[in-house]
Amino acid sequence: MTSQAATGAIDHHHDHTTSTGIPNKKLLMWAFLASDCMFFGTLISTHLIYRLHPPAGNPVPRQIFDIPLTSFSTFILLMSSLMMALAVNAIQKGNLKSMRFSLLTTILFGAIFLGCQVFEFNNFVFEHHMTITNSILGTTFFTLTGTHGTHVAIGVLWLGLMYVRSYKSATGEGLWLTTALHVVALVAAVLLSMKLVLSVVWGLQAHGFSGATLAGVASAQWLVIVGALIAYSALRWFARPAGPVQFDQSNAVDVESMGLYWHFVDIVWIVIFTAVYLLEYL
Amino acid sequence: MSDSSHSPAAGHAAEESKFAAYVQIAMLLAVITGVEIAVIGLPFAKWLLVSVLVVLSAVKFMFVIFYFMHLRWDKVFCTILFFIGLILAGGTMWALLQLFSTENSVPLSVAVNTLADLSRLG
Amino acid sequence: MDATVKSHFIGKEDKAPAKPSFVLWRPSAKTGLMSWLTTVDHKKIGFLYGSFALFFFLVGGVEALLIRLQLMHPNNTLLTAQQYNTLFTMHGTTMIFLAVMPLGAAFFNFIMPLQIGARDVAFPRLNAFSLWTFVAGAIILNIGWFLPDGAPDAGWFGYAPLTSKLYNPTHATDFWILGLQLLGVASIAAALNFIVTIINLRAPGMTMMRLPVFTWMTLITSFLIILSFPAITIALVEVMFDRQFGTNFFEVSNGGMPILWQHLFWIFGHPEVYILILPAMGIVSEILPTFSRKPLFGYPIVVFSGASIGFLGFTVWSHHMFTTGMGTVATKAFALATMAIAVPTGVKIFNWIGTLWGGHLKMRTPMMFALGFIWMFMIGGFSGVMHSAAPADAQQQDSYFVVAHFHYVLIGGSIFALLGGIHYWFPLMFGRRVSEFWGKLSFWVIFTGFNITFFPMHFLGLNGMPRRTFTYDGNMGWSTANFIATIGALILGVGIAIYFSVVIYTYFKGEKAGEDTWDGRTLEWSIPSPVPEYNFAVIPTVHARDAFWYEKHHQDEIAKEKAEHHQAEASHGGIHMPFQSIYPLVASIGILIAAIGITAFDSNSAPGIHWKLGLALTGGTIMFLGIYLWALEGAEGYHLHLDDDGHDASSQPKH
Repeated sequence: MTSQAATGAIDHHHDHTTSTGIPNKKLLMWAFLASDCMFFGTLISTHLIYRLHPPAGNPVPRQIFDIPLTSFSTFILLMSSLMMALAVNAIQKGNLKSMRFSLLTTILFGAIFLGCQVFEFNNFVFEHHMTITNSILGTTFFTLTGTHGTHVAIGVLWLGLMYVRSYKSATGEGLWLTTALHVVALVAAVLLSMKLVLSVVWGLQAHGFSGATLAGVASAQWLVIVGALIAYSALRWFARPAGPVQFDQSNAVDVESMGLYWHFVDIVWIVIFTAVYLLEYL
Repeated sequence: MSDSSHSPAAGHAAEESKFAAYVQIAMLLAVITGVEIAVIGLPFAKWLLVSVLVVLSAVKFMFVIFYFMHLRWDKVFCTILFFIGLILAGGTMWALLQLFSTENSVPLSVAVNTLADLSRLG
Repeated sequence: MDATVKSHFIGKEDKAPAKPSFVLWRPSAKTGLMSWLTTVDHKKIGFLYGSFALFFFLVGGVEALLIRLQLMHPNNTLLTAQQYNTLFTMHGTTMIFLAVMPLGAAFFNFIMPLQIGARDVAFPRLNAFSLWTFVAGAIILNIGWFLPDGAPDAGWFGYAPLTSKLYNPTHATDFWILGLQLLGVASIAAALNFIVTIINLRAPGMTMMRLPVFTWMTLITSFLIILSFPAITIALVEVMFDRQFGTNFFEVSNGGMPILWQHLFWIFGHPEVYILILPAMGIVSEILPTFSRKPLFGYPIVVFSGASIGFLGFTVWSHHMFTTGMGTVATKAFALATMAIAVPTGVKIFNWIGTLWGGHLKMRTPMMFALGFIWMFMIGGFSGVMHSAAPADAQQQDSYFVVAHFHYVLIGGSIFALLGGIHYWFPLMFGRRVSEFWGKLSFWVIFTGFNITFFPMHFLGLNGMPRRTFTYDGNMGWSTANFIATIGALILGVGIAIYFSVVIYTYFKGEKAGEDTWDGRTLEWSIPSPVPEYNFAVIPTVHARDAFWYEKHHQDEIAKEKAEHHQAEASHGGIHMPFQSIYPLVASIGILIAAIGITAFDSNSAPGIHWKLGLALTGGTIMFLGIYLWALEGAEGYHLHLDDDGHDASSQPKH
């Protein structure tokens, strides 16, 4: 086994230890994505097939869909892809700080996308009375977009774990406890923020924009606010300048493989946005 | 798409400009999305609009896989590998939609409803 | 101890040594139960795959015998209709997913890395995860035998709406759905691993067009798996949602279309039959040249035929559905594609005959099975081409003619080749050789029994006997043929019994086989038997398609080359071996617990412990922890240093 590190700088597009020069992890991810194409291809087909012959009483999609909201979440997901690409670019140059910032923004955008989806689903179920069981449109729509949302959620979790991984201490002090608490803090920060933002949005929707509304939400959600503040402080504390870490250019392939997954989730949404949403308006 | 992976030193300038390229592509993707949303309101034939939407989505798709996912700079085998899946999935989707578009595939309940509507109109 | 320097997997030797890591527990047992549960060695994993597969092969065989005994006489009452449904469902599902596929996977695991000159697969721990998830799926699929709900009974194809809550209210169908889902996860994970291994871990000089045909077929099969299983994953998710959450995918009253299940199932199901037969074709393509003393005739054509079969396999699924009324255009298109797929298959047959032609044939047991394969598979192929004519198929659909057809391709094809493969590689795997007399006897009994069982079914089918009916009247004219078929099945059972007794006897007491028993052509025969943990003391350099034959004829050149490589590797730290790991097993156990929770319990149970949700969440958490710890412990390993004789110079590595 020749050592790629021995040649000095790492060539991120060529791995001398493999027959083709493609790193194993990257090849695995591309093969998996080829497989996932069939996965989403079949699922999108199901939706489109049932769209061809709607039964009597099926909801009409264009009366339900909210294109401004979906366009916003599409834009957000595209931006998250940009940040992901920048994160990979950063770690390939060994710029750890920049990579962490890009990862956090990717997580943020991913969480916003998920929040939009929660909002959208909530709206469809309670305002438009379309559930996963009461119509074939609800069945295929929620299953398809829900499966995509699950992919996004897994991606956000993966991004978070990678972010935490980038703090792995080179000296090995308190590895287990710190890592576990760091993960918990990050997950809590994301979930509590989503909860808070959604509460504010729903509050504003119900009572209009006013100081009283915001105060009402704040008093109802004070536990969430306190929890989120604790989680953010913990994240800030974990991100303090500390000793050397075991995370450098040689981990770029890990970040890149994760990035491939994230971008794939994005291109699936590009297809869903056109095939599921826009198509209904023609 | 060529597999002439440049050496790190030679490609340094290119690496620097990647940042700008990524940002520009992201802006382009956002603009295309905007165009797509605008297109659905245009008063043209449906087939034309569908074709425009499909082409625009495909352009977005290709930008993401070739730039954000680095296929452009990677070994060509990655592209082949992914396109095997993509083409098979696309072909299967196309075949399924064709199969279910034919008259023979209209579910009986829907066909009966359509007949009922027709007779009511008649 | 001192010889095993701890280091990172690839290219980190010049970094600071002994980095602190997240390792909770590093198992190091080389013998005993723990060594098997934590193994990442592709040979041990292959052996386990094979053992489980053979066990389920026998289970499926017993199920088949019960079916045949029930059909021995008209109006027989050995089984009830319900028991019969369960048996044909489980016989089909078991044979396909728990016997033939994992037996193929056993050979992929054991043989393929040896054929390409690799020390292991690309992701050893993922390989272990595939194995244990396969076991979890097998448990879920069969758990119904021991529960009041019973085993699945809706057919191996599980046609909607037969799988709906309305027609199948018990959990039996849930076991089937989730069992298959887990087997799909295991298969996809394994296939991804094999693809990366074959593409990336080839020894120097092993170009793609020098790969042994068995490895080529492994690659193509793996591609079929990763591209076809997602379709059934989605289909199973849909039917699972229908049953668990009340969605409408196949619920006609709300606009669902049960025909969609058939399409999704066969989009998977047709490539699946090539997943079952391509490994067999690979094995036969290894056995025939070895015992004909000739290189494979038309190697590139055999490879490209395999690839075109793989591709065309995705374009023919609707020929299973000619009688559903898809419209003339679709029917014609799928009929033509089906006829087209016979071409590359026929090409392969001619290449095998070309390999035999003018060769110095050595009629050993593996060769007998390979020759049996060619003949029997041809018969199955002929009846297959008959099905491609849609009007004829309309007559044959759901009749015993179809049963005869696919048993000729699956037993006469896949099973014959796999049984031959066991004989062929047995000396390599266990250092012992099956006795020629008993091996050939088992072949002839199996061959005879198989033909007596299934040949009459052609006539039964054309005379109108339908599949999946638990009995028939005496005045239909089917009694004699059914009686003969049952006698044949018993003979086949005796043949299989002889085969397995002999193999098990040989494992313990058989004649010791020397290295390279058959004068093999491919790299796996260049290493001692039983195969050392590190496979190759020195990674070989490949100069020709039949790499080992070349080595035998150029011994000086090869010896010089090996000495150089040995030195180069020693200066790089010796042979790298991956650490064992428990986490793949942990992740699979988590999946198993969650699957039991989802399948075996009702959601709206009485107050108290909510078993369904509780077990699902517990299992999910265990799975997540398993995967996370697996990721954190990293793909690290240790180094072995061999002395000049190729023996391990160090004591067993410990940590």
